[in-house]
Amino acid sequence: MLDSFEILTTSGVVLWSRTFAPVGPNVINGLIRDVFIEERITPNATVTEDLSAARNPPYKREKYTLKWTAVKELGLIFVAVYQSLLHLSWIDKLLDNVRVIFVDLYGDQLKKPNTSIVECHFDEYFDQQMRELEKSARSAQPAKAVAAATAAADIAPSTPGGVGEEPPPLPGIKSLSQKQPLFTPVPAELSPVSTPEVSRPASPAVSHLLSAKGGPGGRTSRRARKAANASAHASSGEESPARRPRSVKSNTKKMRKWDADGLADEDDNETSLDYSMNAGDGADDGQDGGSRAPAVEAVSQSSWGKKTGKGEFVLKDLDEEVHEILSSADAKKANGAASDGIMGSGISAISGLFRNVVGGKTLTKQDLDKALKGMEDHLLKKNVAREAAMRLCESVERELIGAKTGSFQSVDSIIRTGMESALRKILTPTSSLDLLREIQSVTSPSITSLQKPRPYVISIVGVNGVGKSTNLSKICFFLLQNKFRVLIAACDTFRSGAVEQLRVHARNLKELGEREGGYVELYEKGYGKDAANIAKDAVTFAAQSNFDVVLIDTAGRRHNDQRLMSSLEKFAKFAQPDKILMVGEALVGTDSVQQARNFNAAFGTGRALDGFIISKCDTVGDMVGTLVSMVHATGIPVLFLGTGQHYSDLRTLNVSWATNLLMS
Amino acid sequence: MTWAHPEGWLSQALHPSLTVIVITIAIALAVPLFLHFVLFRSSSSRTLPSFLIVGPSGAGKTSLLTLFERGSPATTHTSQTPLTVEAALPVTTTAASNRYRSSHDPSSKEHKIFLLVDTPGHGKLRHHAFENITSPQHLKGIVFLVDAANLSTGAGGPTDAGLREAAEYLHDILLMLQKRAMGTKKVPEMPLLIAANKQDLFTALPAPLVKAALEAEITKVRESRSKGLLDSGIGMGDSDMAEEKEWLGEGGEGKFEFAQMEDVGVSVTIAGGSVLGGEGPEVGKWWDWIAESL
Repeated sequence: MLDSFEILTTSGVVLWSRTFAPVGPNVINGLIRDVFIEERITPNATVTEDLSAARNPPYKREKYTLKWTAVKELGLIFVAVYQSLLHLSWIDKLLDNVRVIFVDLYGDQLKKPNTSIVECHFDEYFDQQMRELEKSARSAQPAKAVAAATAAADIAPSTPGGVGEEPPPLPGIKSLSQKQPLFTPVPAELSPVSTPEVSRPASPAVSHLLSAKGGPGGRTSRRARKAANASAHASSGEESPARRPRSVKSNTKKMRKWDADGLADEDDNETSLDYSMNAGDGADDGQDGGSRAPAVEAVSQSSWGKKTGKGEFVLKDLDEEVHEILSSADAKKANGAASDGIMGSGISAISGLFRNVVGGKTLTKQDLDKALKGMEDHLLKKNVAREAAMRLCESVERELIGAKTGSFQSVDSIIRTGMESALRKILTPTSSLDLLREIQSVTSPSITSLQKPRPYVISIVGVNGVGKSTNLSKICFFLLQNKFRVLIAACDTFRSGAVEQLRVHARNLKELGEREGGYVELYEKGYGKDAANIAKDAVTFAAQSNFDVVLIDTAGRRHNDQRLMSSLEKFAKFAQPDKILMVGEALVGTDSVQQARNFNAAFGTGRALDGFIISKCDTVGDMVGTLVSMVHATGIPVLFLGTGQHYSDLRTLNVSWATNLLMS
Repeated sequence: MTWAHPEGWLSQALHPSLTVIVITIAIALAVPLFLHFVLFRSSSSRTLPSFLIVGPSGAGKTSLLTLFERGSPATTHTSQTPLTVEAALPVTTTAASNRYRSSHDPSSKEHKIFLLVDTPGHGKLRHHAFENITSPQHLKGIVFLVDAANLSTGAGGPTDAGLREAAEYLHDILLMLQKRAMGTKKVPEMPLLIAANKQDLFTALPAPLVKAALEAEITKVRESRSKGLLDSGIGMGDSDMAEEKEWLGEGGEGKFEFAQMEDVGVSVTIAGGSVLGGEGPEVGKWWDWIAESL
């Protein structure tokens, strides 16, 4: 069963929600954070204008599965939460239908500026959808083996007096809903119309349910109110049954017939309409006409009074309204596709050209494609990996489709600003990256937090030759400047000369450190030993002899060498580092994505990288795309940049600087 | 030659005939109207005084906004986009600009209307808030909302992450306000309310303690920022970007107090309250502050 269904805006206000079982707010907050803000889960590979919920991957959190869909131009998100154990096939359909209905009913309220209030009485619509989809899902199961027609026939009799329902939009039934597109394009309005055979007994029901809209106990739906207002001038007590038929008459011009299997009879012509009129039965007048008012009133009014007693009319009325909305949305979609070729020219083309210059043009995929291709090439030239560049372009595209250009704004410039903000978003860290404060809070915790002081452990990993030891000494120098006591642990027990190299660094730093007020020592155990054990010993030693920070150097390893990478998991378990930093060079190209991914996954479940150090930034000029590639691959922030040969050439990342370089 | 003989189109066009006059008048009237509708339809002309709501994620910013707008808070989730709404002072509070009016002045019966701007508190989305501070439109004050229950250090959380995040965000905002004040000759007044939300919870710190905790933490932030590394924009890029780092408050040393911000026109007030309380919301003090700054 569904646990919760919420409709919320991107600004965070819940417009409407229905809870069947309590779900903590952190579940949906998690969805928003991971999917929408941090984009950990890429929505889908290709961007289309079809926003069906089925295309969005489900998001799992705790024991729940969340399905969602969104309406970008209105800033709406629809989320359905259910337990992961259940398999609810109709959720996608529910989300899509609810989206269409909600946007149709309250879309104009949502466009109002400076308010967060949306008056919605959505309960009934939602209940109706739930009921319908659940019913169809239930009946779909036995009917699976049977042909679609049979399934429809099963359901048709189950609804007595059955004209009020149009034969099924019944969306749960796969075979039927697949057929639906075949006949939906024909009329714009899907007002329920029966075949001649059925129409006679049933049309009272039609008129009754129509009249119910205007009835005194009227519900508060907007359409009903509108309908009421439209005919307010005729204010007799009797007019309510007669009123609605008139509006139906206009619809019937494009009448669709339904045959016995519930499929549309394509050749709808006036003859069938004539037939019902010729029959001359008063009961049929529900379909045409206020002109023959007296007869209509007599019949339909009686049926109205009779049926109201059952109290069922509200439901039927709602069904009809909902179906109308859904099918008109379908029809609009089909029309949009069809009319492109024929009517696309003319005035719309001219105004399109004008809008190109002046602004106010609604962007479509075609407008964006070419400019985005150029932007992608530009990013590739800046050494951004193709994968990351494509993702950035897609996120810009997703952002911009359906947006309007501003006054005198070209498509290129809007894409530029879009890309800038996408880059800024991907590079900006989620949480603060103040290393000094973190070290302080561990080495000298506040009295209230009941924690023992312990050394802060930083370990550095990376591929061979990217500058692990160099960057480690730079960090060490930075810490010494801040008067910490630092222990360097030489855990590269593999490459000959690695320990000696660190020894030289340590000697230099020791002298520099004494001037600055810090203290540094090297912890070494020679070659050939197990790195994880040495790291563990180093941490214990540091705790005993009162060091503030332990910096662990590790051996370089190729990221696709399974044997070497697997030892990292043990290393993380033994040394328990507070921060694992990966060094990547700015020179590396497309491979950076794979490097970052493999290293991020190497520490086993529950442990990941904490940050990147991008070395050799001074050698690439403005081609700093590696930054973006690595952050894209893992969502882990860049902590430091190595910008030169000296101990002091270490920088933090300035996001706007990087963005400017990438966009220049 | 088109103007040589009277039948030429140019002489026709310059000839004072009725058609020409009508067409000219039609064009003269239509063009400005047309341009107006194309270009300016979307932008509204009214500028109301506005208040900015900032604060770390989960502090209750959107709830506060809906409370001020509707009178009762709505359920909310993490925001992704800023939201602007119109709100009116309740009848019980009088705006400072209306104080001089007598109590029988009919115009004081009118509600004072202002705009509230909610910003997302998530780390990646704070640029919305910063943009609003640097390019303000009638910005009358900033409400910095903190979750007072999340600040208490010994409450069981392994680290004082909530306090640190709040302090860093507040530090950034104060620094930005200070920079803004330094740039101009005349120091603009900018009242800032630190609203200690969720006072209904048992673990919440009372307002004076919130102030003390934030001041102490900002001192630490300032200290570690001054020791931290230069960022990559400096030295690598153009030389004109090599501006000095800026410290918050005078000199950037010693203990930080909010009173130090008075020099740059930022008067900091602290008040407790709760948006979602057991016995209904308690936001009277915040309303008073808004009325005060209007």
